[in-house]
Amino acid sequence: MYPVELTVNGQKYKVEVELKTNLLEVLRDKLGITSPKVGCNTGDCGACSVLLDGKLVKACLTNALSAQGKEVVTIEGIGRPGQLHPLQKAFHEHYAVQCGFCTPGMILAAKALLDRNPNPSCDEVKEALSGNLCRCTGYVKIIDAVMAAAKEMAGTETV
Amino acid sequence: MLDNAYFSPPNLNEVCELLAKHTGKAHIIAGGTDLMVKVNRRLMEPEVLININECGLSYIRKEEGNILIGAAVTMSEIIESELILEKLPMLAEAVKKIGSPAVRNVATLGGNLVNASPAADSATALLALGASFKLVSKNGERVVEGEQFFVGPGETVLKADEILKEISVPAQSEDEKWAYYKLGRRKADTLSVVSAAVKVKFDGEIVEDIRLAIGAVAPTPLLAKKTAELLLGKKLDDALIEEGARTAAEETKPQDDVRATAWYRRQACAALVKRLLGQVRG
Repeated sequence: MYPVELTVNGQKYKVEVELKTNLLEVLRDKLGITSPKVGCNTGDCGACSVLLDGKLVKACLTNALSAQGKEVVTIEGIGRPGQLHPLQKAFHEHYAVQCGFCTPGMILAAKALLDRNPNPSCDEVKEALSGNLCRCTGYVKIIDAVMAAAKEMAGTETV
Repeated sequence: MLDNAYFSPPNLNEVCELLAKHTGKAHIIAGGTDLMVKVNRRLMEPEVLININECGLSYIRKEEGNILIGAAVTMSEIIESELILEKLPMLAEAVKKIGSPAVRNVATLGGNLVNASPAADSATALLALGASFKLVSKNGERVVEGEQFFVGPGETVLKADEILKEISVPAQSEDEKWAYYKLGRRKADTLSVVSAAVKVKFDGEIVEDIRLAIGAVAPTPLLAKKTAELLLGKKLDDALIEEGARTAAEETKPQDDVRATAWYRRQACAALVKRLLGQVRG
């Protein structure tokens, strides 16, 4: 076993991992943070998407040891009940959530986009979410929600 | 059991030392997007891991007429590089179609090549561009032409103590036409059913120089030499394009898999080659 130190949603953790351990196993099994989902475990579905040092990654494909010293953000790190992130609020208001399994990954993929490109086109939103599958196929509402959040966030910034 | 089997060396010399010391046991990891799929599926369990993200292989630079790309450069870095967008637009186009943003943020060019999937999309573009690869070990370095690098599915000429250090690609020039297309089952996070890349230099309407590469239709990414020979020195008219597409399909050795049948791959290959040759002719 090897020690790994990482920060998750602002809190520091030290865990012991094996060479084969991935970041998703660390988050879910060792830290009890279960918002990143185990969908395919092969990088196809995006349900385990998290931000690693601000960049979108698939936690299932991220070797835990290569996350040493890095900062992880999961959906819990961007908002909470009563203080929802504009993306969370927009997903709620636009009915962009059906079963909810893909939602944490979708919102983090959308956040990674808006952090770099606050005013995306519809095609840019689709491209940014292209690695995230919604098997309820609620894509239209998801895209609407991201576009609405972008507008909302642009508005907040100019005020 | 080794006391320590995880390393993140600060330079390439140390990587080579470790590869020599742990020959046959060591796996190199950069983005891990191929390696971890195998690990998660329990197809392999690494005995020794060498992380190469900190060893200085993250550079993109121009040297004379070539663009040099360190093996640990990520796909996102490639498509965001002004130098690549200007000098290697075909590579940028191919890399944009690889994986999805989350994969491209960590997956590396070297990893895509060393993993040696017949469907590696960067390989198709790099073969058409005439890239060569620099391989390094404790005992020195050697340069291998792109088309000599791949041996079979998952197999390359890399020896157990060698690492792919750098990809060298002749800069594309204004007087060359190019076209690239990836056919997949979805737009993102999918392995190609067929991909094709072509680079052509015309003398008027005559094909003066051409490189055509096709992915996912043979045990390795394929440089379609017979098709190139057929087209060379001729006027690229409709009849020649048809014949070229047929020849390219005959050159392939596709197989049935979960993504497509061999029959479909041949048909799609002919259609793609026809489309690309039509595009470069203008």
